[in-house]
Order: sequence, then C-alpha cells, then structure tokens
Amino acid sequence: MGRRLHGRGALFDTDPAGLAPRLVGLRPHQHRAHQVEHAQELPFVVLTGGRGLGKSAVLVELRDAYQGHTPVALIDCEDAQFAAPPSGRPAEAWSPVAQALLVIAEQLAEPVTGAGRIQFPRLMSGLVAVAAGGWGDADSERIRREVERILLLNESGSWIAHFAGRWAGRVAANVVAAATGTGALVSSAIEATLESISDSFVHRRHQKAATWWRDHPNAGGNARRGLMLLSGHFRAEGSSREHAERYLVRALLADLAEAYAGMLPRMQRLGRPLVLLDNSQTAPGPGLTDAVLRDRADGIADRVAFIAALRGDSRPALRNAVRRTLPEVARRSEWAPDPAAWSSRALLVSLPRLGPDDTLHLVGAACAGTPAPARLPPATHRLTGGNPLGITLLAEAAAQHLPGAASLGELLVADVRLHAERDRTPAYLELLDRLVPAEHLDELTVLAAAHDHDSACALAAALLPDDFGPADIRSLQTRLRQEGLPAVPGRFVGDPFVRTLLLLRLHHRDPDHTQWRTAHETLVEHYAPTCDETDAPARARCRLHHQLALGTTDPAVDHLRDTFPTLDTRTWLRSLRFIASAPYFHAHDDQGRDFDGQDDRRAAVALGGTDAATRPPDGVDPALHLRIRRLLHAVWQLTDPLALPDPTVCHRLRFELEQLSNLRPAGNALLWRASRDWPEDALAGRPLRIPDDDEDGEA
Amino acid sequence: MARGPGGWLRESVWEIPLRRYLALLLGLALVTGLFFTVRALAHDDRSCAPGVVRPENSEECVGVATTAYDFGHPQLRDAVQAIDRENDRLRPGSYVTVALMLPYTATTPSTLSDIQHELQGAYLAQYEANHSSNGQSPAIRLVLASPGATGAHWVRMVDQLERMTKSADRLRAVAGVGMSTDGNKAAVQELTGRGIPVVGSSITADDLANGHQGKDPFPGLARVSPTNTDEARALASFAKVTAGKALLVYDKPGDPYTRTLQMSFAKLIKGSPYEPQPFTPPADRSQEGTTANTFRQITHLVCDTSPETDTILFAGRHTQLRQFINALGGRGCQERKFTLLTGDEGSYLTGEKDLDRSALEHNLSVRYTALAHPDAWVKDPARTGGSAEDARVLTDLLAKSGRAPVGPIGSVGLEDGQLIIAYDAMRLAVHGIREATAEGRVVPPLADVGLQWPQVKGSLRVSGASGWICLDVHGNPYDKAVPIVELTPEGRSRFVKIAWPEGKAPGKECLPPS
Repeated sequence: MGRRLHGRGALFDTDPAGLAPRLVGLRPHQHRAHQVEHAQELPFVVLTGGRGLGKSAVLVELRDAYQGHTPVALIDCEDAQFAAPPSGRPAEAWSPVAQALLVIAEQLAEPVTGAGRIQFPRLMSGLVAVAAGGWGDADSERIRREVERILLLNESGSWIAHFAGRWAGRVAANVVAAATGTGALVSSAIEATLESISDSFVHRRHQKAATWWRDHPNAGGNARRGLMLLSGHFRAEGSSREHAERYLVRALLADLAEAYAGMLPRMQRLGRPLVLLDNSQTAPGPGLTDAVLRDRADGIADRVAFIAALRGDSRPALRNAVRRTLPEVARRSEWAPDPAAWSSRALLVSLPRLGPDDTLHLVGAACAGTPAPARLPPATHRLTGGNPLGITLLAEAAAQHLPGAASLGELLVADVRLHAERDRTPAYLELLDRLVPAEHLDELTVLAAAHDHDSACALAAALLPDDFGPADIRSLQTRLRQEGLPAVPGRFVGDPFVRTLLLLRLHHRDPDHTQWRTAHETLVEHYAPTCDETDAPARARCRLHHQLALGTTDPAVDHLRDTFPTLDTRTWLRSLRFIASAPYFHAHDDQGRDFDGQDDRRAAVALGGTDAATRPPDGVDPALHLRIRRLLHAVWQLTDPLALPDPTVCHRLRFELEQLSNLRPAGNALLWRASRDWPEDALAGRPLRIPDDDEDGEA
Repeated sequence: MARGPGGWLRESVWEIPLRRYLALLLGLALVTGLFFTVRALAHDDRSCAPGVVRPENSEECVGVATTAYDFGHPQLRDAVQAIDRENDRLRPGSYVTVALMLPYTATTPSTLSDIQHELQGAYLAQYEANHSSNGQSPAIRLVLASPGATGAHWVRMVDQLERMTKSADRLRAVAGVGMSTDGNKAAVQELTGRGIPVVGSSITADDLANGHQGKDPFPGLARVSPTNTDEARALASFAKVTAGKALLVYDKPGDPYTRTLQMSFAKLIKGSPYEPQPFTPPADRSQEGTTANTFRQITHLVCDTSPETDTILFAGRHTQLRQFINALGGRGCQERKFTLLTGDEGSYLTGEKDLDRSALEHNLSVRYTALAHPDAWVKDPARTGGSAEDARVLTDLLAKSGRAPVGPIGSVGLEDGQLIIAYDAMRLAVHGIREATAEGRVVPPLADVGLQWPQVKGSLRVSGASGWICLDVHGNPYDKAVPIVELTPEGRSRFVKIAWPEGKAPGKECLPPS
C-alpha cells in the first residue's frame, strides 16, 4: 500500500470507512466500491491547520490512493504556474482560475481502471473563447500552441480517433486559420471550435455539448453568442471575470457529470471524481472554492468530491462553514448545509497533531536500522508537540546521526540530507523554512524571545531595523494567528515547537551569539525592577528566566531559596517551573565563546557533583541553598525540550522534592505529590503538572 | 499495491459492472463449452449404427439395423445397400417390417459366406414381393436383427424387435434365425412367446421346432427346412440303410442339431451289431481340438467291421466332419468302399481348404443332405413336391441382380443352398403376412400372421425354389424335398438325387396326414 500516513486513519480507514472512502465511494488503494455518505449533495471538504500539520501529505496520499481508480486532480495553488500568466500572454485573457481549470481537467481526463478518457467539450469551448480574447496581436504559432493544449481536453484517446489522426491537430489548424484570417477574431475562433464539435461524427454527446453554451444568460439560445459573452466578461475583469470564471467551473462540472451519466458509464465507473486543492488560501483556491459552493447553493448539483487544504483556521468567506475536527468525522460527518448560507456547504475539518503513539511509530519506522534510545520518541513528541513535519524530520535526522548525537538539540543543529539531489542543511533551518513565513523569518527569530507586545517592542527596538515598529509587530501577530499558530498568553510565538526553533536560530545566528545575548540582556533590562510593585513577582520571574538563559544561575537560586519559606507552595512551584523553562545552551565565556565543550552541565549540578566546589552565600542555610540549586538544575534539564530527560536526574528530582516537602509542613502534600508526578511526566515527555492546577501554562 | 490474481479479479473485473456482466457471460459460455466438450470426450460412443450398439463388456454390434449397416464386413455391403435402397423406396404407412435375424457379427469365413447368401436370398424375395405381386399389399421392409455371433445378446434384440411391432416400423415377422444354438433357441422362444411370428430358414434341429415329442413350445414358428429327423429319414430312404450295414459316429454330448441327427440315425439302425462311436469336440465346435486323434482310432474300428458294412453315419458339425474325412483318407482298408452319410453340415465342406480331397478318391464317397440345391429340379424333374418353373423365378431374378434396379447384391453362390432357403423363408413370411391382411386393410394384426402357418398347404402352399412348402399344424414342412449331394474331389458339391422324408414325393394336394 506504499506509504501509510500515521494518525490519519479517520480519513483513510476502510473498515469502518473513514471520510475519504465515504466521500469518493471507493476504498483507498483498491478498486472496490464503497457506500457514499452523502448521496444527494456532498460537502466541500476543507482540511485546515497550520504549517507542517501534513495537509499536503494527506492530499498527496489521497491522490496516490485513488489514482487509476477514479479521475483525480491535484493542484497546488501556490505553484508558480498559477501566480502569473506565461510570458507573452496578456493578463486580460488569463486568470489563475482558468489556468487551474485547464490543469485540473488535464489530470481528470486520464483513463482509469474500467473506463477511458473523459472529454471536456464544454470547458474546452469556454477556454478557447477566453484565450481568443488575448490573440489580438499574437503570432499564429503562439495561437496554435495555446489552442492545441486546450483542444487536447477533448481527445477521446480511442483507437478510432487515433486512426483518423489527432483531432486536436486538425481543429487547431482550423481555429488558427480562422483567428488569423480577416473578420472578427474571437468570433471566428469560437465558430471554428463549435463547428469542430458539432460536426463531429463521433457521437451524440458532442452534439449535446455544442448546445450547452446556449443556456448562458443573454445568449438567446445561440451557443456562439454565449461564448462571445463569456469571452467579453472575462476580459472585463473584476466581478465580470468572476462571473465568467463561475461559468467555466460550471462547464467543467457539467462535462464531468456527462461522463458519469448514462447506462454505459454507470456500468464502467465506480465512485466519484476527486479534485484536490492544496494551499487553497491562495488564488485560484478561493475562486474555485467559492464558485463550486455558490453553484451548489444555487441548486446546480455536481457529483465531484472536492478536498482542499487551507492554511490556518478559516477564511472570512467561509465563516458559515460547518466545523469539525478530524476525529469527529471519522465515522460520520453529520454535515447538513444551511440553505441560507452558501458557505455552509463547506465542511472545515481541522487536522489534529499526532499523538505519542504515532510519534513512536514514525521514529521507529525511520530508525529501523539504527538503535534509537527509548527516550527519543517521547522527547521528540514533547519537542514537536505532535507536529508531523517536525517528527518526520527529526526521525530522519536521528536515522542519519544516531548514535553520534546525544540530544535533540544536536539533532536539530546537525546537517540532514532530505533528498539525494539536495545539499545538506541543518534540520532546524529546514524546519523553519517550512513552518514559518519566509518573509518574516528574521523578525520572528528575534521576537521569539518576547513574552508580549511590550517585550516584543523592546526587542524590535534593540535588534530590528528602525522601520519595524509596533504596528508591524501587531500585523505580524495577526499573520501568525491567520497561519493557524495558537495564541498563548505570555508567549509572543505561541507554538512552543516553532518558538524553540526560532530561539535556536537566534542562538546560532552569529558565531559569538551576540544577538542571542543582546536579546536576553534587553529583556533582562526590560524586566528590571521598577517602582511599581504590583507586578514585581512576575517581572522578577521573567528577568530570572532570561538571566538563566544567559547562563547566570545564582539570582534564580537566591530568589527561589528566599521565597521558599514565604511564598505559597503552588506559586513557588510555578515560579520554579517558569524560570527553569529558559532555553539552555552550554556555557559561554564573556565573549560568548564556548568554554567547556558541548557538555550539558545541568545534570552534574543536579546530581550534586559540584556541591563541594560551591560556596553558599553567607547567612543562608547552606543545605537549603544547595538543594534549591540542585532542584533548579534538575527541572531545567528535565523540561528542556532539546534534551533527552535523564532518568538519574528524575530520580534525584523526586528525592529533592521529597526532602523539601519535609521542610514545609504547610505545603507538604503538594510538594510530595509533585515529587511523584514530575519525574513521571518528565520521562513520558509531558509538561510538568502542578497537582490540582487547572492552569497548565508556563506562566 | 500488490494484488494477487484474486484481488485482480475482484477489483479489475468484478467491481466494474460492465466487466462483471461480460465476464459472467464469457464464463457461462466457457462452462457450457467445457461441459459439452467433457461430455463428448468422456462419452464412450458405443453405438455402431442407428439401432445397433455394442453392449457393455462386448465388442459385438447387436440390435436391429434399419440403415445400410454392414456390421463391419465389406462382403455384406452390396446386399445391405440393396436392401436399404429398397426400404427407402417404400412409402411410409404402406409397409410392414420383417427382420432378418442372423449372426452378422460372426467372423469365420464360411459363416459369413452363409450370411451373405441368406441376405441376398431374403433381399430378392423382398424385391419380388414389392415389385412382382400385382400390387398386393402391404409392401415389405427388411431390417437386420443381430443377436451376436452366438446369439448371446438376444435379450436386447428381442426387446428392440418387440418395440418395433408397436412403432411405425410395424414389425410383423422375424425370418432367418441361423444356427441352432442355445441363444438362438431362447431368442425364438421369447419372440414367439411375445407373439412375434418367426420363420426359420436354415434351422434343422428337431428341438427348435414345434411338434417334437408332441409339444408346441414355439407358437407361431414356421420352418422351411426339414427337421433333422426328416433329413435322416430321407437319407435312409435314399441309401436303403439297414442295421447290419452301417456304423454310427456321433458328437457327445452334442448340440441340438447333432443330437437330433444322432437320434434319427440311431432309430434307423436299431439293432446294429456295432456300438455307436462317440467323439467329444471342444465347446466351440468351429475349433480343431483333439478330436483328430479320436477319429484316427475310429478309422481302425471302421476297417474292423464286417465286409458288408459300407455305410458310416456321421452326426457332428462340419469341422469334426472334415477331420473324420481326413482320417478316413488314411485308413488301413483303402480297398473297401464306404459311403459317409451326414446332414446339411456337409455343405460347409465345399471349398474347404483344410479338407484332404484325395481321401475322396480312395473308395470314399461323402453324401449329405442339402437344404436346397440349384441343380435339384433341373436334373431330377419331379411331378410334385417342387418344379423347375418355381426355381426359375429365382434364377431369373438372380440374372437381373448384377445391376440396377435389382442389384448389385455382391457375388452370388447357390451351391450351399443358403440363398435359396432364405429366399423361400422370406417368401413364406410374405405369404403369411399378406394372407393375414384383411380385405381393404394395409397392415395385418400381428397375432394373425402366425395363425396362417397351418393353412399353408394344398393350394395355399408356397411353391418355393427349394420345393413345395406345405406346413403341418406345428409349422414344420411336410415331405419337403431333400436334395442329396455328394462332395467331389474338386471340393464342390454334385447333386445326386432328391430324396423325400416320406420315401416319395408328396401328392398333388400336398396335405400332411393327420
């Protein structure tokens, strides 16, 4: 069955059937019919989610599952061919939607098991009429090239046609002759095209197709006139072009309906045709989606299964669409359109992140030949948060670098080769390339360290060009929201995985880590104590957090030691967790150079290896000071998403919390339960939970 | 995706309705074709021709042939084709059928030759009945009934014949019968038991006749050949055999033919001083066996008899007869003259290659009764009991039989008498059928045909080519002419004289005494 997508069974399952077989009416990868769920009208399915959630992978898998079994077309709306007209072609006779329709029809035309090619005479006539509008000053060679590609949509591919010579070639000659002759150009080309199909001796279906354009509004029962109007509307641009494009979409759907109508096609074809639109947030995606949805709302039914992928949660135009999560539609979609809202004919299905089991399978599959540490899959899941792209790439990096690399951080920094023909690049850069809008990567790299708008402004002022002001920061925040990245209070970049990657980039941006240091120093400065005492504890925590990121541990130890007897235990634990969530990079000297290699020194401190060399400040309880120091380092190590949790450190963490619980009779129970839960959570790759605390955030 | 042949069939054929229906049609056609092919291959075709099959465990073709089927003997082909031509000529509804029952599957040349001649005779009688009888009805269709070489498969044949009496074939009589074997005897008993009249042609055995020891076991059986008893009586009247001058040599235990001949001879020489000499041949009497030694010993006894003994009576089949003659050729007393008398089996020795013909040159003459002889009425014109004119009807027909419309019917031989006797038997059958046909009717009731036999006498007699056929109340011929013939050293038969069972020719009226 080829590649299996993990965690997407709700789409591809056969028994019981997932969403895809229920929509298409065919089992994936098999030529076996399946009961369709929506026999009368089917939903326009839109898969939503941020970058890296596997939307494209799902569409490619859908195409592979159904190719050869039912007509399938897959286009990527971000593809260059839809961005601008090819050279020499005027914009008035080209649009992304028209180009997409041509490409979709070309793919749908391919023969499948049991049935031959599909012909598109209606769409062909319409596209010729549209293209003819741009032939005013074209040479005959360009006209012939353009028209022949369009005319190939009507090739039957049968041996009779082959015997009679290629139909498209002959008709193209006629059309070129008509277009370059005297008289009205567009009209002559349309006339020649219509004649070619209405004169066709092949069959009745062509005759029917030749009369389809008669029903165009104001055509007055004349197909030629209908096509002339279409051509005119298309050239007029604006809403007229939208109107023309709707008719072209309708022509495509009518041709498809024709291919499925009648006794013989019903006995030859199983299921429904499938059209897959990737990146449908970009043109021609919205144009195609809206045209189909509006036609369906107008009662012009079709039997085509559309599945589009949309980056983000939704588009404003789809505000009334029915929303489901993928697990909800696994067995029944329970979808029913609202007659009053055309966009309710879309079914938005959000793709969930992968679970720990799927992560385990993915890593296991990639590292089939290498012995991977048992802690790697849960740690990978903790780092990526179930992001399929992140898991896949990390698994690939692990396969290429294990057993050399000791931590996830090393795996991310190491070069990976994803394709034989491509150069090796560091994994984190490869991931950022695909998870973050490329044009905002630099800004985001800096702003990732920020916690809120104010801190972001401080960072931007320190590290970004002057023209990047607070407004740009807000627009960037909106952009992230549109891309489907979660908004988390206390984090400028809400997705922990993306944030970790951005901070990694920030750290490695220059050899002496200047930007990294500057960013954290700026924030330490930003959170310096002020006169206003209301938010002093919160500011202190942020300050200590960034100091820790810079490798300065003593203020954090002092703060935690001093607040331990006084602060509410729950708050104290939260503070500990937040401060220890600082990114860790091995120690650097004052110039930022590495000074003790690549070692992770946190474990050594956590296990008490450095206690003898440490002198607690005078006047404090040395035992408590050292214990708090060990505890901080243990939590820092165990919650670091880039490190593999160390079981010995876990054991020590448990011991230290137990000991602390003896010192605080009031917080005894809470500390004792944390001593049980935290090591367990750390090893399983879960965030550390504070017992009975609903708020699992990091603040 | 890798799919096995089952998956391919499921997904590329079964799931697509058009292909599914086409495949079902194709499959159905294949299965039908396969069924018929297997049936044709597995079917053991045991039929030889329409109505003729090879029964299980037998390679003989038995049954009733209604077409020109020659039972694998090219020798018979002309005759069966002539019969088929004549049958085909008949208008449906205008005819009744007579079956000629003979051992067509026999392989010995002498028997085949007899069958060929009987076929020819029967055909000529059929032709004459259909062409030269003033349009008398019904017309006669002739079919060939084969019970197997020894009559072993008579049950199948009898069942078939009985069905034909009720079908459009309208079978009304069975002629022929052939040799007096046990199977044939059972067949005749069954046929007559089921009311089908039988006309025996060359059967001479006493116990395949009615009236033997006062019983009628075969109601509806008529014969054209005299019984062995009559033949013996005719021989005796010819040779003036007395007890002191003759020695009896006989087959022990014998078959119906030899036993009746032996008993008839024994009656003639009652009180003979010489003990009858037995020999025991193999069960199949056409085999040589060890009897040649027995006959050499018997020749010593022959030479030991008193000088006035000049006659040897032989009750046996023709193979043993040939061995005995060869033994007598080497006897010690060559100077003594002997006459060997035997029944109609002697006719088989004409043309017999294994016969030591020189034996006949040393004071030994072999005389036997023939069923009929072509020279009988030419050389011995009698006023009653038969005539040259009656015989000439057949000879005239034979003269025309070489070419159409009568012939061709194959090479003709009259000396063995089979052709003549079959011709007469068939004429008797036709006579019975037509006599039983009521005025204005075409077809006689089956039961009435057999009832005609006692009336065949006086002016209603059949003037056969072998002599008058006047039947007594038992269906046996009364005082039928018995030609005595002698075997010549050239291997041919020479007509000697007509002998009569009653000692003289019958009266003009030809009425058996009560």
